This record gives sequence, C-alpha cells and structure tokens, in this order.
Amino acid sequence: MSQQPTKDKRFVSSRRSFLQGGLTAAGGAAAAAALGTGAAFAAGTPDPAITDIKDWNQYSGAGVDAAPYGMPSPFESHVVRRDVPWLTADPVSSINFTPLHELDGIITPNGLCFERHHSGVAEVDPAEHRLMINGLVDKPLVFTMQDLMRFPRENKVYFLECAANSGMEWRGAQLNGCQFTHGMIHNVMYTGVRLRTLLEEAGVKPSAKWLLAEGADASGMGRSIPIEKALDDCLVAFKMNGEALRPEQGYPVRLCVPGWEGNMWVKWLRRLEVGDKPWHLREETSKYTDLMPDGRARRFTWAMDVKSVITNPSPQAPITHGRGHTVITGVAWSGHGAIKRVDVSIDGGRNWQTARIDGPSLSRSMHRFYYEFDWNGSPLYLQSRAIDEQGYVQPTKNALRAARGENSIYHNNGIQTWYIKANGEAENVEVS
Amino acid sequence: MSKFLKLTASVILFGAIATTGANAQDADAGKKVFRKCAACHAVGKGAKNKVGPELNELIGRVAGSLEDYKYSKAMTAVGEEGLVWNNDTLTEYLTKPRGFIKGTKMAFGGLKKDAEIENVIAYLATYSASAEQAAAEPEEMAEPAETADATSGQAPAGLAADAVIPDHGNYHLGRVALPEEITAWDIDVRPDGAGLPVGKGTVADGGVIYDESCAVCHGVFGEGEGRWPVLSGGFDTLTADRPEKTIGSYWPFASTIFDYVNRAMPFGNARSLSADETYAVTAYLLYLNDIVTDESFELSNETFSDIKLPNEENFYPDDRLEEPNFAKGTEPCMQNCGDRPAEIVMRARVLDVTPDNDEEGGAGGID
Ligand code: HEC
Ligand code: HEC
Repeated sequence: MSQQPTKDKRFVSSRRSFLQGGLTAAGGAAAAAALGTGAAFAAGTPDPAITDIKDWNQYSGAGVDAAPYGMPSPFESHVVRRDVPWLTADPVSSINFTPLHELDGIITPNGLCFERHHSGVAEVDPAEHRLMINGLVDKPLVFTMQDLMRFPRENKVYFLECAANSGMEWRGAQLNGCQFTHGMIHNVMYTGVRLRTLLEEAGVKPSAKWLLAEGADASGMGRSIPIEKALDDCLVAFKMNGEALRPEQGYPVRLCVPGWEGNMWVKWLRRLEVGDKPWHLREETSKYTDLMPDGRARRFTWAMDVKSVITNPSPQAPITHGRGHTVITGVAWSGHGAIKRVDVSIDGGRNWQTARIDGPSLSRSMHRFYYEFDWNGSPLYLQSRAIDEQGYVQPTKNALRAARGENSIYHNNGIQTWYIKANGEAENVEVS
Repeated sequence: MSKFLKLTASVILFGAIATTGANAQDADAGKKVFRKCAACHAVGKGAKNKVGPELNELIGRVAGSLEDYKYSKAMTAVGEEGLVWNNDTLTEYLTKPRGFIKGTKMAFGGLKKDAEIENVIAYLATYSASAEQAAAEPEEMAEPAETADATSGQAPAGLAADAVIPDHGNYHLGRVALPEEITAWDIDVRPDGAGLPVGKGTVADGGVIYDESCAVCHGVFGEGEGRWPVLSGGFDTLTADRPEKTIGSYWPFASTIFDYVNRAMPFGNARSLSADETYAVTAYLLYLNDIVTDESFELSNETFSDIKLPNEENFYPDDRLEEPNFAKGTEPCMQNCGDRPAEIVMRARVLDVTPDNDEEGGAGGID
C-alpha cells in the first residue's frame, strides 16, 4: 500500500524501471546476482535450492522430545544479547542489549530481553521467597508465592526501557548498531497481581505518600515510588510471555512500573514499605538523576518519553538486496500512552512520510511500524519520529542538547539517523 | 622445612585421592559457593584476571605465579618459598586468607563452613587438568534436572476444609509479619535519620576497614581502581565538560552512604559489616571527601543528623515538561523542512562495537 510517490527524487524509481534495469546489460545481471536479488533468475541457471534434494527433504528429523524446552534454529545462533565490555567494570554489575534488528512484531522473546544487574543474577528458590509489606499499613503482611497467585490476576503488555538507553549518544554518534544504541528495552506480556490489590490487603494508612520497593538480590536494589503511581497501574508480575519470569528478569517475582524507567521495576521483589517521605537511596541520588549544564540536577525523572528507532536497515542489518522494493521497519513507544503516529524520513528530516503501524497498539507498549518504498540505490539519511497520544513529539538530539547539555546521561529520546550508503551499508551518524 | 613446603609434600601422598573424591561429589555445590569469589575471580573458558587472578589450572599452580597478574609481595614470596595450590593449601588459605598468608591483598574474610571450602575446591578442580588426570575416572557432572517431575505443585497439606483463613484484608491471603521479621528486612535509612540502627564508629576505625575491604576496588583514597567506581573528589566539576559525580561532589544525603554500604557493599559480600563497622566506614568516606576533617570524629545514630553534604540544595524535581520540546500538539514539519539538504556532521566513533581491548571507550557511560 504505502508506495506513495513523492516529490523526492529518490522515491521516483518505480516497479517498471526496476524490471527494466534488471533486464539490461549482462553486467547488471552479475551485479544483481552479487546482491542476491533474484539471483538464480538473473543468472539463467536452475537454482540448486530447488533442483537438489536436501538432507531435510530425504531423512527424518529429530523426534518430539529431542529438546524438551525448545531452542531457536541453529541458523539463528547469531541472534543473541550482546554487551559492550568497556562500559562497566565487571559483568556482575553490567548490562547487555536486546538485538532489536533481529526481531519483528512487538513482543521480545524472553531469552533476548536485555539484562541489567547490580550484583549479578540472584538465583532465588521460589519456595523460600517471601514478599513483605510493612510500614504505614494496618497490618504488615508476608506472602508466599502461592499466596500471590491466589489474588486476581491480569495480563498486560508493557515496554521496559532503561533510563540510560541511548545514553552513550549524548555527545554524538558512538555505537554502530541499534542493538547498542537502543537495545536497553524489551516488550513483554506480564501476568501478575495489581500492586494496589496487595497494598489494600495490608490496608494503606491515610498518611502514606511513598512506597519503597526492594529486591532480594545482593545489591538490595531499592527505589522510592510515589503512592499515586503504586495505587494506579503497577503490577507485581510472576509470568512473562506466558512462562515463569527468567532468573535474569527477577524470578520468581518482579515489579512492573508501566511507562517509567526500568531501574524502578525491581526484580526478585521481596519487600514493599509504605512511608510518608522518599528514601533517596543510591539509585535515585548518585544514579538516575539528570545533571544539567548549570551543575544542578533533576531528580525523580521517572517517565520514559516518546521515542522510536528504525531497526532495519541499521548498521548490523544492512540492505543486501540492492535497489527496488524495500521495507523499512522499526519500533516506537512512549511512557505517556499509546503511539499515535510514526513518520519516516529518508533525507535526514527534510521530508517526512507517515509510516504504517501494524499489530496491537497498546498504552506503554512497543509499537511496530513499517514504511515500504522503492529504493533507487542512492544514499539515504533514514530517520523516524514518533508522536504519542498525548501529542508529545519525539525531539531531535540537538533540541535535547539545547535544553539539557551533554552530561545528563538518562532520558535521551532524540531522533536517530542511519546513513545508508550506495552499497546498502548503514552507519550511525548525525546530520545537520 | 617451611609450613608451605610441608603442606605441598603431604599432598603428593594424599592430595590426589582427596581431590578425586571431592571432584566427583561436590563440584556442583561448589559452583554456588564460587559466587562469593566471582566478584574478583573468573574461571572457565576465556577467564581473565579481574581484581584477583583467573583460577584456571589452579590445582598444581605455584602461588603467585601468573605472569600477567600483579600479586602482592606476600603472595609472590610464598610462591618462591614453594607454596603450591592443592587441596590442603587451598583449604588453609580459604579458611583465613590473611591468617595463612600475612599481607595477601585478597580482601576476603574467608569461608566459614568446611563443606563450602571442600566444594569450591572441587569446583575449581574441574578447571584444572592436573586434578582431572589425578581423578581415576572423572564422573560426569550431575545433570541439573534429572527427570523433572511432571507436576510442579506441592502435595496438598491436608483437608482443604481445615485450612485456617486469616481475617485481614479483602482476600484473607498472606499472614501477619512478625516484628523480628520486619527488623530483619527493614534496613533502609532515610535522610531524616529514620531507620538508622544504634551504633557508632570513628574515621580512624573506618580507615582500617576501608583499607581491608574496600580499597582493592575503590582505591586507597577513593579514587577508584581501573573502572571501579570513584568515591571521592570531583569537587567543582559538575559544570565541567567531564563532571565527576562522587559522594563529596554530587550526592545530596549522607544517609545514602550508610544505607547503600549497609545493603550492597563490599561488592560480592554484602551484608557482612556490622552496624558499628558501617558507621565507621561511612565516617571514613566522609573524611575522604573532606566533609569531616578530624580522624577522631565519631559517627553514630546520634551525630548523624549533623552531617550535611554540600550538594544537597542542587537537586530539584523533574521539570522536563517545561522544555520547548514537550510543547503538546504542535504539528511537526512534514515537507521541505530546514533550509538546506541534510549533511553528516558526526559519525559513529566506535566502529567496532565489540572491542576486546581494555581501552576506556565512549563519551557517556551508563550507570
Ligand atoms: C574481594 C576480592 C576477592 C574475593 C571475593 C576473593 N578473592 Fe581470591 N584473590 C583476590 C586477590 C586480589 C588475589 C591476589 C592476592 C595477592 O596477590 O596477595 C587473590 C588470590 C587468590 C588465589 C591465589 C591465586 C594464585 O594465582 O596464586 C586463590 C587460589 C584465590 N584467590 C581463591 C579465591 C576463592 C576460592 C575465593 C572465593 C571463596 C576468593 N578467592 C575470593 C581477590 C579476591
Ligand atoms: C570487588 C570490588 C568492590 C569492593 C571490594 C567494594 N566495592 Fe563498592 N562498589 C563496587 C561496584 C562494582 C559498585 C557499583 C555497583 C553497581 O553498579 O550497582 C560499587 C559502588 C559503591 C558505592 C556507590 C558509588 C556511587 O557513586 O554510586 C559506594 C559508596 C561503595 N561502593 C562503597 C564501598 C565500601 C564502603 C566498600 C568496603 C566496605 C566497598 N564499596 C567495597 C565494587 C566494590
């Protein structure tokens, strides 16, 4: 559908001109073969993928129990989380990144959800796990996992984005790959109990203003959450995408704080304390505060702003098929609600086309967008720009820098540019 | 003959047998114990030196003998004296590192249980070829899940009708937390001092603890070894091109130091300091940051409220929504935006995104 011709020269090459191109000089055929565009057709020889009998055509494969817990095809073994070792001192307190360029749709598979731990992955025995509620409540309570599963449950799809996602890019283009520039995010369907339901079971006192959420890992991860948010949409989740949480995502139980920075989504959740003031723990003072150019710092910057990125093509996923019909795809999300619209530019933001959003459009969940066009083979400056249901528009990186300088680390939701070269390679750049 | 040589000799007779037994039984349990070491040591394929040396081929290694690791003088010396790592010498060292090798820089208090020591040695032995050869018939590592039970639920506890229903709440689920249980878990401390335990410690006491348990990573003056966090200095850098955010230059509240050290430090051995020790080391961190200047200063639950950090006033609530880029509902430009065609002004600096060198890379870190 969205092959609308535009004024831009690069959009002009039509399907007809592509076919003509494919049929011209012998040199053209060789080039097409090298690019993998209809290779067999162009070469005029039968395709062995069709004419040969492959092993899998002939011999039976593995039986049903070969892998009691199934794994991806070995041909997909490159689809993994990756880290950037120089970012942190030790893998026990470090981060890796979701391979966004290998995914489609809106759900992140459990094994590919990026990890961030502050003292490694706690290996918690669910039989010995407890969740305590104490502080300004009528009755301090302790729940076992079995208790938690007896409360009414709900299923919700939410993105979780680390506040430092794209944080390496404040001073300019740094890392080549959307996995590294934007991969501190995942989008998962959670099953759990409303935090509100649990708090009401203990009875919240009228003086309550804040909630401390604390993890059972060796970093004792803790964050202060305003009580309005705690009583609104937070979820105490024990399932992700239908199965038990993965250990690295907080097994057996984690907090979901929809739309707010990932650090607050305390994993291995073991305690909720109701109080009347914030705690100002390390992760809300030393970290996750945003230093401004005047030397002062914003605190309690919780919400994740409207943002998008083109995942394909991108530096780890160049265009290998040559010119012709091309699918551009990416993801968009906002902590302020659903995504209303995504625009794509192929000329560095001079002209924009509205992309097609496909799949579920849910509040504070990732959205998938596509933009299809005929690429004529000349270089592109690809950008995407999301607008959320509140009307917030994803800003340029320069607009963010003008407001915040370059040292605030967190909440960089600026527009990303990929430079697509004539050979289909992609590079992380910034344009004027 | 030195005590080290004696131990080394005894293992020639008994060590191999002992190793064999342990290897077969306890390597799995040892893997768990190794988590206490993993903050500082790596073992297995591709293991590199961290705070401590990598531990591949440990059994049979002369102490302090890795060429690419910088040991303490004490460790090098005992190696030269002939100390070789085996079941017996490791048992001694891991029971009380500094008792066995005076002056070792391994900032680790030791393992308390004999079983833990046996198991961790058995685990390390699986990464030592010499130990494996010694084992008559190395058994395969136990499969983690034998044949998993097809059901996951616990057996019913009795007649459903006999279950006791508590009277709290809407669903009558969970039980009332006991005061001892709340005390055990409720360790958080607020800026107003709420949550501080009774206790005290001086700057001088804290210095001893810090040198022993913190300096390996954070540096003797809090300057940070390698890429471990810097804990001091950075004054007047918050408006600089490369700000250094430390306790002294950035943190708003002293309570955060106490709370964080108490819950999370030393890294890899959290919750191991007493309340007095935590007061002392907090006092010492204040001293390293010139917040207190007297070595005899004693920090306690009573003196705590006197401490103010210089940067407290410079934090303010999120006001992002007042930035121009948050103006709602402005229809963004769609056609012929900007006066000139776009040009590249900056390119990715890190072309190889998986650098395996140790260079300090990147402009902005993640935290
Ligand atoms: C806080 C960091 C830290 C922890 C935790 C730690 N170590 Fe060490 N370890 C070191 C350092 C540093 C050295 C070097 C000691 C020296 O040079 O004096 C060392 C040395 C060693 C050596 C001597 C290796 C050689 O090449 O001679 C062994 C064996 C060892 N550690 C085992 C362990 C085991 C097993 C554990 C866990 C039960 C452990 N360590 C926990 C830091 C640590
Ligand atoms: C094995 C290395 C290691 C040792 C030993 C260690 N730390 Fe740490 N420390 C770390 C790491 C790693 C972090 C950051 C953890 C994270 O990413 O969450 C840290 C963070 C800190 C911070 C917060 C820094 C900031 O700017 O937010 C303080 C304060 C601290 N440590 C104090 C101590 C004290 C006091 C001790 C000794 C009792 C100690 N540490 C021992 C590795 C260590």
